[in-house]
Amino acid sequence: MKILKTCLLVLFCLVAGTSLFAAGQQDSDTTNLTLMLNFQSTEAVTTAFEEVISDFHSANPSIKIDLISGTSDYEALMKSKMATNDLPDMWSTHGWSVLRYSEYLMPLEDQEWASRLHPAIKPVVTDEKGHIYVLPIDVDMAGVAYNKTVLAKAGVKVETLKTWKDLYGAMDKVKAIGVTPVHIGGKDSWTVGNFFDWAAPAVYITDPKHYSGDDLVAGKFDTAKWELLAGLMKEMNEKGYLNVDNLTSTYSDSARALAVGDAAFTFYGNYVLAEAWTFDPDADLGFFPVPAYYEGDSPSLISGERSTVGIWKDTANVEACKTFLSFLAIPANAAKIAGSNGIPAGLTDAESDTGKLKADYKKWADAPAFPYFDRAFLPSGMWDTMCSTGAGILSESMSTTEAAEKMKEDFNRMYK
Amino acid sequence: MITGKKSLISKILWSVLTIFIGFFHFIPLFISINVAFKPKTDLSSRWTLPAEFYLKNFSYAAEKAKIILAVQNSLIITITSIAVIVMIGGMAAYPLARNRSRFNERILQFVLAVMMVPPLSMLVPLVTIMTRLGAVSTYWGIIVVLVTFQLPISIFLYSSFIRTIPGELDEAALIDGCSKFTIFYKIILPLLKPITATVIILTGVAIWNDYQFSLFLLQSPRMRVVTLAVSTFFAQSSSNLGAAAAAALIAVMPIALLFLFLQRYFIQGMVDSAVKG
Amino acid sequence: MKKLQEKSRTHSKHPHITNLMYLPALLLFTVFIVYPFLEGIRIAFTNWNGFSQHYDYVGFKNFIYLFQDKNMYTASWNTIIYGFGSTVFQQILGLSYALLLNRMILGRNFARTFVYLPVLIAPVIMGYMWYFMFQYRYGALNDILAVLGMDPVDWLAKGKRAVGLIVFVNTVQFCGISMVIYLAGLQTIPTMYYEASQIDGANAWKQFINITMPLLRPAFITSITLNLIGGLKLFDAIKAMTNGGPGYASHSLSTLIDYTYFRSQSAGYSATMGILLFAMILLFTLIIQKLSARQEVLL
Repeated sequence: MKILKTCLLVLFCLVAGTSLFAAGQQDSDTTNLTLMLNFQSTEAVTTAFEEVISDFHSANPSIKIDLISGTSDYEALMKSKMATNDLPDMWSTHGWSVLRYSEYLMPLEDQEWASRLHPAIKPVVTDEKGHIYVLPIDVDMAGVAYNKTVLAKAGVKVETLKTWKDLYGAMDKVKAIGVTPVHIGGKDSWTVGNFFDWAAPAVYITDPKHYSGDDLVAGKFDTAKWELLAGLMKEMNEKGYLNVDNLTSTYSDSARALAVGDAAFTFYGNYVLAEAWTFDPDADLGFFPVPAYYEGDSPSLISGERSTVGIWKDTANVEACKTFLSFLAIPANAAKIAGSNGIPAGLTDAESDTGKLKADYKKWADAPAFPYFDRAFLPSGMWDTMCSTGAGILSESMSTTEAAEKMKEDFNRMYK
Repeated sequence: MITGKKSLISKILWSVLTIFIGFFHFIPLFISINVAFKPKTDLSSRWTLPAEFYLKNFSYAAEKAKIILAVQNSLIITITSIAVIVMIGGMAAYPLARNRSRFNERILQFVLAVMMVPPLSMLVPLVTIMTRLGAVSTYWGIIVVLVTFQLPISIFLYSSFIRTIPGELDEAALIDGCSKFTIFYKIILPLLKPITATVIILTGVAIWNDYQFSLFLLQSPRMRVVTLAVSTFFAQSSSNLGAAAAAALIAVMPIALLFLFLQRYFIQGMVDSAVKG
Repeated sequence: MKKLQEKSRTHSKHPHITNLMYLPALLLFTVFIVYPFLEGIRIAFTNWNGFSQHYDYVGFKNFIYLFQDKNMYTASWNTIIYGFGSTVFQQILGLSYALLLNRMILGRNFARTFVYLPVLIAPVIMGYMWYFMFQYRYGALNDILAVLGMDPVDWLAKGKRAVGLIVFVNTVQFCGISMVIYLAGLQTIPTMYYEASQIDGANAWKQFINITMPLLRPAFITSITLNLIGGLKLFDAIKAMTNGGPGYASHSLSTLIDYTYFRSQSAGYSATMGILLFAMILLFTLIIQKLSARQEVLL
């Protein structure tokens, strides 16, 4: 017993000693910052961040940054961190800098880099008071993802697809060669909502003659327009443009169908291309802007946040965080991170390498870009209604009028 | 001997029906086994047996779905929970069975009422509270919740069993000067073996198969239990169903084997719990 | 018994010291069931989104909306279908199997084993196994249709059909429970009853109505209660097979609560639906208790 006690005492002294020693080793003027990313450690973008951070550390030895890469439960983790108001110094906002995280983030529109933001991303990260809460290092630009081989076989040129009418024509040609024109993986209900996010701007926003953005922000919802939009889905379903199992297959099925040429188009972001290439690395895939709805309007791209960094408003090290963000905003650094995602940089003076999609990004560089519709123009919580009413239309249990009515009802309920 | 012939024919018909019923309930497992042992490229009907004994799906499932890690997590959680349930449940049942005061009757009714509470009706507050306690994605968090929701059935089984033990035993021990606690540990506890087997089987199966609590309280991939690992894998790999089926079989195997060897106990346990209710 | 208790009281200084033994259990119930329940009632009066530091008390707004919410009606109706539908079919299957497998016939143990085995498989995994049957592409059921020369069907794409199939899956998985209860019940009926009635010239059907059914009453009550509560709480199988879809067509209250909390980020409203689900199960449980108690009195 005595021996045991002595051992314990010695052990305790050792532990206490080492921790004191370690504390002594800590340079008193070193600032430790935590940065949490939603990207997994296996993704290339995490490596790019690590490289930039080590460069930063060489330039600013007094600031140390702990990078915590994400897991698939990042979103849930951040929610519980918000609920307990215990957040990291900096984190990335995966599309929600304004709607979900702004309550916890510090406004940054006074920073030097705010003037250099890419026009495609600036409106996405700005709230109605003009505050910007994150540095968007790159822009997630997307349109309709498609299989080039299938379209070549069907004799369709994407440059000619200016309006939905043109797109329908293309779908007919694709159907004629025995391929499913559009794949929707509706068992994962978000895939249905995503279609509306892609098609809604053309109906509500992109055409100046039919602009309803201000009305939406002011709390007025136009059901007639939503009927047009829901009508697109209804029509595609009735004309047999969709995969038959559009309600029981999954997003992963969509990616596979796109890769192997079972489907021509999918209404997802460019992440679907990355997913499709895991099935067939040699698949010839690309994207083109979403066609316009009204005659005389032009096609447009959908833009959103991807790699963003914001600062917790209650952080103890405001200056150190801002220094790091300025470092990230140096064109070469931003270009490195954006390039690892294969998408354009979020700053006007940074040029990134966009990999397999380089030609497509170049081709559509001049197309106007609009933010994700629901994030910019609908109250929080509507996403869910978009998904469910869409599924209602696909399962023929809802008319377009009913879907629009339901949208309006929830819009009025959630609008604050 | 016409009747003999008739009864023989009817016997055969009944047997055929019986065997058919057995097979019918085996269908989902049969299909899953076929899917699991066929490579992705094999597009033969799911009703046909695999042509070769293809094991790649299992190795893929073990590697990608981290099913082995999930089995470990499930084992840790299940075994710890069962131990806690048996301890706390047995202890709680003794006074409830022996001191039949009005107050204790109320407590027992309350325990029975808890059995009815649908877990999902507590979803929001429970997750909120666990978040505040920092118990999300921890072993102790999930164990404490699973134990709480499985306790009523164990208390109930134990207390109805203790009631069948004659009170004279306690009496005799009291006269010998034992304290009440000693009576419980020395006399009652050893008699509880058969019912403990039932408690272990019932709560063990429920906890091993739990999906709803694990889904909400285990958000970290490292903490996944088998049900979660399989469901996530299904959601992500709908194009590689062979591996998903393999993962499902790995998750089902331990319980199925236990059942085949200890069938009598499983059925007896079910009957005990039901008939006493 | 009373005497004994009095005796024991005189003998021990602390008659109820053993009551301390249920404290750990009560503590767990209080912290993880009673407290969350009360907290849930509080959250139901807010517009909390589930993660923000800010929320307002909105009075009965959530409760009022509950009665205007079409999805709530769909889900409540489905919950009742899942509960009662499964229960009815489970009794029919369970009792038929019990009567059949109570005979001395070949294959009896084989059938008992495979009817009961699914009870031990996690419902969520079972749901996925049935998904192999109902899938549109490569689904085993559509293979049968193809052999019969019919077109494939996307089984789970229609709401009402999906609800029916979920009831089917739940029934087939858990009818083993009813079967075992009825088998145990049948074994408690003395054979001399049957012998006596045979002498009176009663046929098998009469015997079933006059002897078997009345004597199985306790088994009925037990089995129905277990199945009904299980069915009303149904969650795992729905998640695996349809995830509540298409649209909201196959949601039960349980899955809708989960969906509203995690997907629509309306924690306040989700908690309100939780109270509704709790009330619903409480109501049905009380009805069953009342009915079964009255039956006993009538006997």
